[in-house]
Amino acid sequence: MSQPFVYSLIDYGAMIDCEPRMGVYAEALRRAVTPGCTVIDLGAGFGVFSLLACKYGAGQVIAIEPDPNIELLRPLAQANGCADRITILRDISARYTPERKADVIVSDCRGTMPLFDHHIATIKDARERLLAPGGTLLPLRDTIKVALANSPRAYRQWDKPWKRNDYGLDLTAAHAHAINSEGKAHLGAGVLASAPQDLAVIDYRTVTEPNLDSTVELVASKDAKVHGLLVWFDAEIAEGLGYSNAPGQPPLVYGQMFLPFANPPRLKAGDRVTARIRGNLVHNRYIWSWEGSIIDRFTGATRGHFRQSSFLGPAIASDALKARSNLLVPHRTPMMQIDSDCLAMVNGNVDQDGIAKALLDLYPEHFATYRAALDHVVSLMLRYSGD
Amino acid sequence: MTDVLSARWKISDQAIANTVGDEMVVLHLANGTYYGLDAVGAILWESLTQDELPSHACEMILARFEVERATVENDLRHFLGELADNGLVVPG
Repeated sequence: MSQPFVYSLIDYGAMIDCEPRMGVYAEALRRAVTPGCTVIDLGAGFGVFSLLACKYGAGQVIAIEPDPNIELLRPLAQANGCADRITILRDISARYTPERKADVIVSDCRGTMPLFDHHIATIKDARERLLAPGGTLLPLRDTIKVALANSPRAYRQWDKPWKRNDYGLDLTAAHAHAINSEGKAHLGAGVLASAPQDLAVIDYRTVTEPNLDSTVELVASKDAKVHGLLVWFDAEIAEGLGYSNAPGQPPLVYGQMFLPFANPPRLKAGDRVTARIRGNLVHNRYIWSWEGSIIDRFTGATRGHFRQSSFLGPAIASDALKARSNLLVPHRTPMMQIDSDCLAMVNGNVDQDGIAKALLDLYPEHFATYRAALDHVVSLMLRYSGD
Repeated sequence: MTDVLSARWKISDQAIANTVGDEMVVLHLANGTYYGLDAVGAILWESLTQDELPSHACEMILARFEVERATVENDLRHFLGELADNGLVVPG
């Protein structure tokens, strides 16, 4: 499994400052932790849930996080008087085998959506290998919801700069890519142009499937131009304890996902939109696809179709796309040879200084200085440092 | 038996294509595999997306490239078989 997405410390600060998220997690932990119990803080960040678990009486906490920010937990644990109860594991949980299974596993490995990075596989693995029978998983479940959205303001970034910019530039060729890109939004209840529908329920006690493929029918609740589909989730961290990033709720760090329409339809109240929404984990990122039809309320006739996907968005450069093709025949590059020689020198006896000097001798045309060679060796070694 | 070049095929709903110059990269959403299509494959794919028969793609390829008809037809039959085996196209 590849390394997960890494947040910055400032991102973690925003998460702590995010209410009701933090308050709900804290209360869920307070209820779940029993004196002396074992807690795993999965994707711990810098370990705020670990500190809370100790505060509520946990006997042992294992904080698992590949991000170097986890090192901050050492002084923080000292400051909070619980350093003797916290074990820090700077790694991914898939490589951890516990001596004792956890009574509680707490995590928040979501992005804008619960379907993010390898979240589902991580939870599934942790649930099956790291959680004691009868143990508690926090969160409990997320419900992903979708509604039609009328928001010229949110839509502007997908439209105006590419079609009607103020500088006389023809940027229309980029529009086809931009319009296939999902975006993050923080929209209020006023944008909703239909009642929301459930797209999926992710019960972390049972979920195994990382991909989403769901079809909903959304009925326009007013006469309005519809700019896209707005997707969010309601979180249930423990029974009766949750929060939502629905439009109209206090904005949360997750935001909402906006799937723009290439040709926003003008709907009358009662018109229907059938929308098939798919989220497919491809390598390390989700490809979001949204397709469907617009149906007239009176005649039942189909007024239009849409078929869009973030696979057609700008995030995948042409060369990167071709590099993923099964037809591509890789050719050995000078850099591959350098890395191959570098790795061949790793035998437990030679330090990085020795490897750098050897590379400098072998490839003077590539490394202008000892420092350049050493930097290369260090970055290559860091790539494998978690193994 | 109907020749596959005269049969109706459609693009699988699991397949999505992105054009890269003359070529194409097709992603199978469910299994996350990328498939490369060269210029000839891209012509076939475009034909199928427009509900044309593979034989239509054959004529387009013959008009664009100096190549024997029999060669194109054999290549397209083989290629269609690969696309079907990988779940990228299904009988229409």
